[in-house]
Amino acid sequence: MHRDLVLMLLADARLPVAGHTQSGTLEPAVRDGLGADGVPAYARSRLRTVTTVEAAAAVVARHLVLGRGAADLEDLEEAWEARSPSAPLREASRRQGRALLRLARRTWPGAVALDALPPAPPRALVLGAVAASLELDAAGLARLVGYDDVQTVCAASLKLLPLDPTVVTGWVAALLPDVEALTASVSHLTDVDDLPAPGSPLIEAWAQAHAVTSRRLFHA
Amino acid sequence: MVRSSVIGSDPTVPTIRPVITHHDAHRARVCLLPEGALLLAGDAIELDLTVDPGVTLEVVEPGGTVAYDMHGGRASWDVAVRVGAGARLSWAGEPFVVAEGAQVDRRTRIRYAEGARVALREVVVLGRHAERPGRVRLRADVRRDRRPVLVEDLDLGPGSAPTLLGRHRVLASVLSLGTEEATDGVDVDRFDLARAGATLWRTYAHQAHQTRLEDAWTLASRAALTGSD
Repeated sequence: MHRDLVLMLLADARLPVAGHTQSGTLEPAVRDGLGADGVPAYARSRLRTVTTVEAAAAVVARHLVLGRGAADLEDLEEAWEARSPSAPLREASRRQGRALLRLARRTWPGAVALDALPPAPPRALVLGAVAASLELDAAGLARLVGYDDVQTVCAASLKLLPLDPTVVTGWVAALLPDVEALTASVSHLTDVDDLPAPGSPLIEAWAQAHAVTSRRLFHA
Repeated sequence: MVRSSVIGSDPTVPTIRPVITHHDAHRARVCLLPEGALLLAGDAIELDLTVDPGVTLEVVEPGGTVAYDMHGGRASWDVAVRVGAGARLSWAGEPFVVAEGAQVDRRTRIRYAEGARVALREVVVLGRHAERPGRVRLRADVRRDRRPVLVEDLDLGPGSAPTLLGRHRVLASVLSLGTEEATDGVDVDRFDLARAGATLWRTYAHQAHQTRLEDAWTLASRAALTGSD
């Protein structure tokens, strides 16, 4: 199987992993006053903070699943948890991880690397194990995480704000260099102790507020 | 029982003096007294604090700290805390104001053992009244024994503050470690960390006195100082 095709498959919004339930915390941001003009900067801010942690954890997970690291996936999971102070965001990640793992097991029954995952793995660890199983390289995996996050935020913006889809596609295209910058910053990582920890207090606070509201379109 | 050391970049310039205001065999209260103007370009403050097993330490600060315009220079504020088994630490941090033109590396490292309890308050203010934010890199590394509990690296400055803090210029937090007390119910400012007994409250505000964390600090410091196992 060609790696580019595998990446396209995993990045496709039609993949049945309930991607449409995620807004990348854009929904509470909009409720707090973020307007259409602020969406590209918001997506960029995510790439530099929470999505950097996500991509880095996925890259290190891939390395560990390939049997090249001294630490185990439980160490990585703890390191990811310590960089994810928001319980609703940790829970959303585990929910997405579960959906992706179920799909991957059905689609690639021979992917034994998935068995190395701890119980209830966060999405980043599942992505890392899937990438290891399907022979994706670390840079491709990091691009997948970054691209998916940008598309999640931009697609959600179309449901939350009165926007023209062609304008939003322009935003995605304009953010691709930022996805590439993220890729360059994390794809060399192999060590759990080197996992970056750029938090975003604002995103974490929005996620907390979103978890306790009953009026929402998106799960997270 | 309690050791602390403070190292400035230059031993002749003013730094911080820990003054013991009260102590008995198992309990001490220390006030961190600044000796002269802090924090200026080139200052490298290192606060090293060890609370031995079974001991209770309360740290207070007489007032806030201002990191002044460094005119291209930088300064660091490095706190390393070790809390032994069954020991207690309460540290009521006062506002740390990063004035326009300041550039500060502020690091907090905490290692705590089984049975230890910690309450730590931190208030960071970006800019004095009606001025632009200075720049501060806030790094936290909190571990129970060797296991990570909270690891964070925030680069706050004029460029990044709007996307990381929104319209606010004050970031206030209360960290409570080693106790499950007072974490019931819904509180949007409360972050239940993944490690058992580790809780972070965090809010944002325009002014340091508006941070809504008084109740959280009361709960956390009381749990750290008076709770029993």
